Amino acid sequence: MAGLSSALNAGKTALGVNQKSIEIIGNNISNVNTEGYSRQSADLTPYPSLNFGDFFIGQGVVVSNVSRDHDVFVTNMLQEKSIEFGLQEGQTRALAELERIFNISEENLSTEVNRFFDSWQELSANPSGLVERDIVIQRGELLAEKFNLTINDLNRVKDNINDSLVSKIDGVNSQITEIAELNERIFTIEVQGQTANGARDRRDMLAQSLSKSLGAQTYYDSKGMMAVQLPGGLPLVQGNMTMEIEGVKNGSDLDLVLHTGGVVRPIELNNLGGEFAGLVHIRDQFIPSIKDDLDKLAYEISGAVNDVHYTGAGLDGTTNQNFFSVHPAPGPPPPAPPDPWVDAARNMSVLITDSNHVAAAEVSANVAPGDNRNALLISNIGEDFLIDGNDNFGSYYGKLTARIGIESNQNQLALGGAEDAMIQLQNLRDGLSGVSLDEEMINLIQFQRGFESSAKFLSTIDEMMGSLINLRR
Amino acid sequence: MKTTEGTTYRMLQTNLTRINSQLEELRVQGATGIKLNKASDDPSSIRPVLTTRTQLMHTDRYLETMGVTLDKMQATDGHMGHIENILQRVKEITVNSINGAMSEEDMVTFADEVNQMKQELLDSANAKVDGKYIFSGYAENTKPFERNSAYDPALYDETDSTTWAYLYMGTPNPTELEITPGEKLESNITGNDLFLGVSNTYWTDSTTPATGPPPSNLPPEQHRVDIFSLLERTEEALRTRMVDLEDANAFDAVGNTAAADALRNKLEGKVDTLELAANQGRRLRSQLGNRASRVDVAMFHQMDVKIDLQQVLSRYQDADAIETFNAIMQQETALQAALSITSKVSQISILDYF
Repeated sequence: MAGLSSALNAGKTALGVNQKSIEIIGNNISNVNTEGYSRQSADLTPYPSLNFGDFFIGQGVVVSNVSRDHDVFVTNMLQEKSIEFGLQEGQTRALAELERIFNISEENLSTEVNRFFDSWQELSANPSGLVERDIVIQRGELLAEKFNLTINDLNRVKDNINDSLVSKIDGVNSQITEIAELNERIFTIEVQGQTANGARDRRDMLAQSLSKSLGAQTYYDSKGMMAVQLPGGLPLVQGNMTMEIEGVKNGSDLDLVLHTGGVVRPIELNNLGGEFAGLVHIRDQFIPSIKDDLDKLAYEISGAVNDVHYTGAGLDGTTNQNFFSVHPAPGPPPPAPPDPWVDAARNMSVLITDSNHVAAAEVSANVAPGDNRNALLISNIGEDFLIDGNDNFGSYYGKLTARIGIESNQNQLALGGAEDAMIQLQNLRDGLSGVSLDEEMINLIQFQRGFESSAKFLSTIDEMMGSLINLRR
Repeated sequence: MKTTEGTTYRMLQTNLTRINSQLEELRVQGATGIKLNKASDDPSSIRPVLTTRTQLMHTDRYLETMGVTLDKMQATDGHMGHIENILQRVKEITVNSINGAMSEEDMVTFADEVNQMKQELLDSANAKVDGKYIFSGYAENTKPFERNSAYDPALYDETDSTTWAYLYMGTPNPTELEITPGEKLESNITGNDLFLGVSNTYWTDSTTPATGPPPSNLPPEQHRVDIFSLLERTEEALRTRMVDLEDANAFDAVGNTAAADALRNKLEGKVDTLELAANQGRRLRSQLGNRASRVDVAMFHQMDVKIDLQQVLSRYQDADAIETFNAIMQQETALQAALSITSKVSQISILDYF
C-alpha cells in the first residue's frame, strides 16, 4: 500500500507539473506579440529519489524554476545599435526641414539673387525708367526678405527641435524612474530565490529605449541592479536612486540639466547620445554653421552692392547712398571678433525708398538720365564678385545647399544601415528569445499528452487500489 | 535558431515599407520628370544646376536687351538714311546752282529748298524712339540740337564750336549695353559725332568750345564736317548769291564776272564738303550697321548657348523617362510579389492541423 500511495503522489506531481507547463505555454502564446517578451519555459526536475532496499525509486516531478530564453550578447548588441539608430533618426526630420528651406527648385534664395542683379541689367537698358528703378528696389526688398525669412525658418527649426526635446524629457524621466523601481522589485523577488522574468524583460526593454533616446549605457552592480549612465559618465540610475533630466528655458534656448542628488549639472553634447545627441547636434552645430554661411552671403552681397552703389549717382544726382542696410560703404573696418556678418541675414533690408535715388549713373556734374554705367557695374557684381576669391553668390548658395544635401544624404544612408542592423538584431533576438507559435503548439501537445498519461497512470493506480481493497469480502 | 511570427511579419513589413518608399520616390520622379528634387538627391549636382540656371537667366536677359537694341538701331538707321538723302539733295542743288544759267529767282528757290532740307535734317537730328531722343547721348530727355542764338554769319569760325549755327545740347556718351558676358556694345551714335563732326573725346558741352586733334587741338578734324553749319553756309551763299561773307569787300557788284566766279568757286568748294558730310554720315551708318549685325550674330549665338545650357541643366536634373518607367515597373513587380507572399504567410498556420 505504501508503494501505491507514493505512486499516487508521484502521479499527482506529474498532473500539477504538466498543468503548470501548459499554463506557461498559454502565457507564451498570450505574449506572442508583446514587445521585449522572452519566451519562458518550466525547468522540470525529478523529486529526490528514495532508497528502497537496493533501489532508488523516483517520487515524481517538480517545476524547479521558470526560466526565460535570454542572451546577453544579443541584448547588448541591440542596445548598442539603438544608440546609432537614435542618433540618425533624431537628425532625420530636422534635416528634411532644412532641405525644404534650402530647396533647389526654381524658387530659392539663389533665384532671388539672380533676379536682383537681373533687375539691374534690365535697368541698364533703360536707366531713366522709373518702373525699372522701382523693380530694382522691389527685387532688393524681396532678396532681403528672403534672407530674413530663411533665418526665421532656421530659428523655427531650432524651436521645433527644442519642443521635441521637451516632449521627450518627460518620457525619458519616467523610464528612468521605472528602471529604478524595477531594480528594487527584481532584487526583492530574486533575493527570495524566485526569478522575476517579466520584470527583467521590461527592464531590458526600457534600457534599450533609453539607449535610443539618450545613448544611455548600462552595467550591473554587485546586487544585480542595473546602473544606467549617460555616454559621458553622468549617472541616471544607481540602484534604486534616480536622477532627473530637466529642460531649462533660457530665452529661446533650451539647456538640458541633470539633477544629481541636489547638484545641478549641465548636459553638454558630449554627454549625450542617441536621438538627443542628433537633435542637439543639428541645433547647436549644424544650424549655426548654416546660419553663419547665410549671414556671410547676405553680408557680402550687401557690401559688394553698397560699394558700387555708393559711388554712383541717382536720377536726381544724389550720391553716397547705400542700397542695403548691412555692410554699408564706406565704413570703418568692422571690429574683428565676432565675425562682422553676424546676424547680417536677419537685419538685411533696403535703405533706398525713392526710385530716383537708385544709382544707375556715374557721378558727374549733371547726371544724365540715360547714363547706365553704374547699373552695368552693379549688374556684373552677380557674376564677377567672388566671396573669398572662390565663389560667386550663386555657387556659394550652391555650396551651402550641397552641405545640407550631403549631411541629409549621409543621414539617410546611416539611418538605413542602422535600421537594417536593428531589424537583423531583432530577428536574432526573436530567434533566441521570441515566441514561435509552432513551437508552442507542439509543446502544448507534448504536455497535454503528459497530462493525459499522468491521469491514466492515476486511474491505473486507483484500479490497483480498488483491486486490493476488494480482496477481502 | 527558430523562426517566430515576430521575425516573419517584421521581415514582410520591412520589405513592403522599403519597396513602397522606393516606389514613391520613383513615382515622384516620373510625375515631375525631375530626378533632383531635393538637395540630398545628388549634392554634387546642386552647384552646376544653380550656376546653369543663373546663366540661363542671363541669356534671357541678353536676348531681351539685344532685341531692344536692335529695334533702336533699326530706327536710328532709318533716320541716317534720311540724312544721306538730304545731303544728296543739297549736293544736287549746289551743283545746279553753279551752273551760270540760273536766274536770281532760281537761286532764291534753291536757297529756300536748302533751308527746308536743313529743317528736315534738324527733325532727323531731334528724332525720338520710345519717347527718347536717339542722338543726345545720355541726356535722352534733352532735345539735342537747337539753333544757336548767338550765331552770326560774320563771326562764324569753324574752329570755335560756340559760333556754329546749331548747338548740341546732349552728352558725348554713346549708350553701352551688355550683350554677352563682358562684351559691351555702343547701341547709338551721339549727335556731336554724326552732325557736328566732333568725336566724343573732343566734345564737352554746348557752352565749351570743342577741342580737336593735335597739333592745333582745334576742330575740324580731318574729313569731318559740321553738317548744320555747312547747310547754313550753303544757304547763305545761295541767298547772297555772290557776296562771300568772309570777304564782303572783294566783290560788290551784281553780275560782276569776278564775283560770279568767286561764288562758283565757293559753291564748288561746298560740293566737295557736302560729299565729305555725306561720307561722314555713311561711315557712321556703316559702323552702326556692323554693330547691328554683331548684335544679330550674338543673338543667334545666345540662342544656341541657351539650348546648350538647357541641355546641361537637363542632364543634371531631369529624370530619364524610359529609365524611370522601367524602374517603376520593376518595383511594382517586386511589390506585387511581396504582397502575394505576405498574404500566403497568413494562409499557412499550424492551427489548421489541430
